[in-house]
Amino acid sequence: MNIEKTYFRPQSIGEAVQLAAGHENDFRYLAGGTDVIVNKFQETETSSCLIDLTGIGEMRQVQTLDHCLSIGALVCLDELKNYPVLAVEFPVLLEAAQAVASPVIRKTATIGGNVLCENRCSFFNQTEWWREAVGYCLKCKGDICIATGGTENCFSKFASDTAIALISLDATISVLEKDAAYVVPLEEIYTGDGIQPRKFNKTTLIKSIEIPLDRGFRSVFKKLRQRETLEFSSLTTVVTTDRQGKIKIVLGGVDPKPVVITGKVGDDPKELIRKAVKKSRIVNNDVYSRQYRKDMITVYLNNSFEALAR
Amino acid sequence: MERIKLKINGKQHELLVESHEMLSAVLRDKIGLTGTKIGCEQGTCGACTVLAAGKPVLSCITPALRFHNAEITTIEALAQNGALHALQQKFVGKGAIQCGFCTPGMVLTALDFVNNHPNPSIQEIKEALSGNLCRCTGYKKIIEAVASYAAGTPESKPAVRQAGASAVGVSRPYIEAGKKVCGIAEYADDLRIKNALNCKFLRSIYPHAKIEDIDLSEALKLEGVHYIATGPELPVKFGVLPISQDETAMAIEKTRYLGEIVAAVAADTASIAAEACKLIRVKYRPIKAFLTIDDSLNDIGDCEKIHDYGKFNNNVHKKAELRFGDQQQGLRDADLSSKMTFEFQGVNHGFTEPHAATAYWDENGLTMHTATQVPHYLHRSLAKVMGVPLSRVRVIKPYVGGGFGGKSDPFPHEVIIAHLARKTGRPVRVRLTREEVFLTNHGRHPSKMTVEMGISLEGIIQVLDADIAIDGGAYGSFGVVTSYYNGVLLQAPYKLDNFGFRTFRVYTNKPQCGAMRGHGAVNSRFAVESLIDDLAHRIQMDPGEMRMKNFLDANTLTVGQYRITSNGSRESLQKVMEQSGWKERIGKLPPGHGLGLACGFFISGSALPIIWNELPQSVVHLKVDFDGRVLVTSGASDIGQGSDTMLVIMVAEVLGIDPELIFVLAADTLLTPVDLGSYSSRVTFMAGNAAKDAAENLKSEILTAVSAHKEIQESELNLVGSRVFSNDRSVDLSWIEAVDLLIAGRGAVNVSGKYISPKLGGDFKGAGAGLSPSYSFGACVAEVQVDADTGQVKVLQVWGAHDCGKAINPMAVEGQLEGSWHMGLGQALTEQMRYFNGLLVNNNFLDYKIPTSLDTPDIHTNIIETIDPEGPFGAKECGEGALHPVIPAVTNAIFNAIGVRITKLPIDAEEVLRQMSEIKKTEVSSESNLA
Repeated sequence: MNIEKTYFRPQSIGEAVQLAAGHENDFRYLAGGTDVIVNKFQETETSSCLIDLTGIGEMRQVQTLDHCLSIGALVCLDELKNYPVLAVEFPVLLEAAQAVASPVIRKTATIGGNVLCENRCSFFNQTEWWREAVGYCLKCKGDICIATGGTENCFSKFASDTAIALISLDATISVLEKDAAYVVPLEEIYTGDGIQPRKFNKTTLIKSIEIPLDRGFRSVFKKLRQRETLEFSSLTTVVTTDRQGKIKIVLGGVDPKPVVITGKVGDDPKELIRKAVKKSRIVNNDVYSRQYRKDMITVYLNNSFEALAR
Repeated sequence: MERIKLKINGKQHELLVESHEMLSAVLRDKIGLTGTKIGCEQGTCGACTVLAAGKPVLSCITPALRFHNAEITTIEALAQNGALHALQQKFVGKGAIQCGFCTPGMVLTALDFVNNHPNPSIQEIKEALSGNLCRCTGYKKIIEAVASYAAGTPESKPAVRQAGASAVGVSRPYIEAGKKVCGIAEYADDLRIKNALNCKFLRSIYPHAKIEDIDLSEALKLEGVHYIATGPELPVKFGVLPISQDETAMAIEKTRYLGEIVAAVAADTASIAAEACKLIRVKYRPIKAFLTIDDSLNDIGDCEKIHDYGKFNNNVHKKAELRFGDQQQGLRDADLSSKMTFEFQGVNHGFTEPHAATAYWDENGLTMHTATQVPHYLHRSLAKVMGVPLSRVRVIKPYVGGGFGGKSDPFPHEVIIAHLARKTGRPVRVRLTREEVFLTNHGRHPSKMTVEMGISLEGIIQVLDADIAIDGGAYGSFGVVTSYYNGVLLQAPYKLDNFGFRTFRVYTNKPQCGAMRGHGAVNSRFAVESLIDDLAHRIQMDPGEMRMKNFLDANTLTVGQYRITSNGSRESLQKVMEQSGWKERIGKLPPGHGLGLACGFFISGSALPIIWNELPQSVVHLKVDFDGRVLVTSGASDIGQGSDTMLVIMVAEVLGIDPELIFVLAADTLLTPVDLGSYSSRVTFMAGNAAKDAAENLKSEILTAVSAHKEIQESELNLVGSRVFSNDRSVDLSWIEAVDLLIAGRGAVNVSGKYISPKLGGDFKGAGAGLSPSYSFGACVAEVQVDADTGQVKVLQVWGAHDCGKAINPMAVEGQLEGSWHMGLGQALTEQMRYFNGLLVNNNFLDYKIPTSLDTPDIHTNIIETIDPEGPFGAKECGEGALHPVIPAVTNAIFNAIGVRITKLPIDAEEVLRQMSEIKKTEVSSESNLA
């Protein structure tokens, strides 16, 4: 009756991909696993095969390539601060990484895992018993979104803080699929559908993340949360400008995918902020109300623009 | 199953593990290293932290197989050859250990941190520890311990006691601190009894539903399932209060809350039991659920009541009302009055150790090892429900990982495993998940109240009236007491002539509420302190000054005939006002900053027992034998507050002997005399007095024996410095020599001591509620910063003072105060139980937001001593009352900062913003009116 559970810890990417192909229907890659294992306890994750990637050394490197910094997907969030280049070039990424979970979790959680962190909702991140009691929602094969009462769309929140920072920095990711390897801008992998938030299938691996160097980025990061640690975001905002005068606003926690607004220096910040608010599909699935989070987008972005102007 | 090699604490292990087994399970269940604790199974509490492959890892969410061939260090490896690691010494020496459940994870996290950051700032330490939750200490002493270790100062050995030096009033680590810091103190889930079955529960998925059918057939077929019990097998009702025993172990015929136990499985393993629960088919017929106070106060028409109880057609459980003086006249006499409506969400104890227990039956009847605060009441409940004489039940309390009121009722899981153990003839164990702990609840009642106060222009209180409704959830628990406490505990610390209240407690279809630290009066105290702040502001009087004018004196009676003996209200308030620089700083802070103050008081144990009888409230036995050791046996339950240590100090003080000669055996209802338990802040006062009484009786025996043998007057003899000597030193015996004389021709000597409260109180109905032989008093000042853009409130500092009579163990008292203030700040700022259609939404430590070390402000701790005439060596309560003033101090500081009056808890940034914008509008319109 019970399907036999298996666990693998491959030592190379090739081995991992092969193992995945052998268990295609019922496996899950594990990076740090700090979210996936909790989801397993809550039975929103039920794969019988776990492929633990943490033994793959080639995915744990940080290196400077031509015009970009490459961060291996398995670099732990806590290890990022060991690379001085990050503090110099992309302090916002350190700030975002530092804002994730708690210090002890960050020693296990990886940047790749965080970028692919499953969307969250008060009505989904619960035990099997709880979800049965509330009546299963759209994200767990139910008929209705508990948060909105709707039957069409799942609005589970985009939860990764580091992805918000990375997108503002025009980061790309190196992706491996069964038969292909390609590079794609990070912001393009997200679908906006709360149920299937990423365009990837289960066998897709992020090998590394590349951030362009020498762009003269300046950023402001903000995260709305009740405690100063141990929190998923209720709203994460990053505003980044570069030397060419590009402005990029990225929001997390207020939509199933990162909300991205671009502009250029000279644009009316008010107009950019208005666009960002309008684009955010916030619902009441968080400890803070929909309205408050919406209002805070404006407050945070205003403050961010002021900080950048200083 | 897969083969794994692990080098754990230097020793190679090779064993089989389940493919998805977590490292914590391997360490605890397969290797037997139970120092690694399981608190949340979510990675949020940090109790399971171990060092794996060189770094801290949350072992409860990390697969063991990841660490094949790796080195693992658990807490058990830190002490070498019996000597504590320097960091462990700091934790012990600084009082950083209370219940000890978070300690192993905290120590390992701190050790790794300091190894990698040799000279950390305090802020860095706070940040580093912020993934390890502690509910007892408020983090202050933990941070001190880590800072002191990092600074490399060796922990000074406790000073050798001077002969004749007193034991009382000297800070000392808990006697069991060394055990806790090494991870070898056994908590309920650490106990490994051979051949035990594991229990899991099937819980209701409806708040209020008829159970039409339960089909166990598929579940019973599962291999490894031994027994499945359902409600009708345990029909006898129980509950902590004799007057509202309204709960059965499992739902019978209907369920009354989402999460109520419907069936229980005993199986070879916990996972088989859980699997079996999923195979049980229950047919429910949902009926109308009552989820709010208003729903339950109203007539319910044709719907079914939650309990067939009470003569009215509503869900009111208890109405309590008392009136003193003439409130109408008081209102007429008042020059101005203030009336406000308040609303409070429920909060939960949040102890780090989940409920756990093991039960078995043998020739002695039932034995129950369980994480409980009140072995005695559980003993009675188990005998009642199991239908056996009291003489056939033994309750043993192991080390307990915090309680705060949440482990003070007899619980369904305890009753059920007793039943399953009897049915299967095997020991049965259970550990609740964190979600189940939240569903079990018994936390602070959600409350609504309208409170009115009138004062004269001189700031003298003329009248106080409170109209209160509290949401009890599905069962009674301590609710009748809570109902009274909400009202009666307003009659101090201020003098009131005209005072009255009415409280309704309603049943709702939610997890039941009960007693939580500061029981019953935290919310109504908040209301009163907010009103005083408002009125003081309106008559332009300093709120501290106004309170000073109204304080009751020492040695007086309150309007409801509470006997106030020692009273340190004034000293407490004065202390925090001075220390915070109140007079110099108030009104001169930068924009958005504010200072607020508030006061409070609490009982030192209820003068009346819950179950009315003529027994003493506490009895302590002492035995001394040939080895000179004094064995203290007491039913008092140390749940991390340090009561075992307190007993040692009491006895050492009276007998003048070294504490090392004293050994405590506590909270085992076969071996220890009755103590009513660790609730209502009664233990130091009552068990302490009983221990003191017993020690005095032993002293008298010794004096008699020595006097007889040495032919010297008893009055000539002294017991000091572990010696018995006469004033002229003609007799000068070591302790052991004196004991030899005592036991000569007689053998081991047993003596007993007791505590019985004096007769107190008026002769009206309800006069007994809140009666206590003594009351504690205290005050807090808080400083806050409010962000005008976001409405977010940050508490910058807290100054607290608490009159505990006499600090028997000052370090332990500080720990209680700091923990109380920390818990109060949680209720003020972030903690609440959020429900969606009766379903608890935030049933875990990620979403139920206990402040972390980073969220806890600097706390300035002050002990005020007033030497209570009846407290043992002058001592009274310090574990609960301190919580009361801190919450209104924070909200009064918000008013001082931005003029916003908070009337709902927890403080909501959105509400702060809304009120700020209203104030702005009013200002604009009044300016335009002026124009």
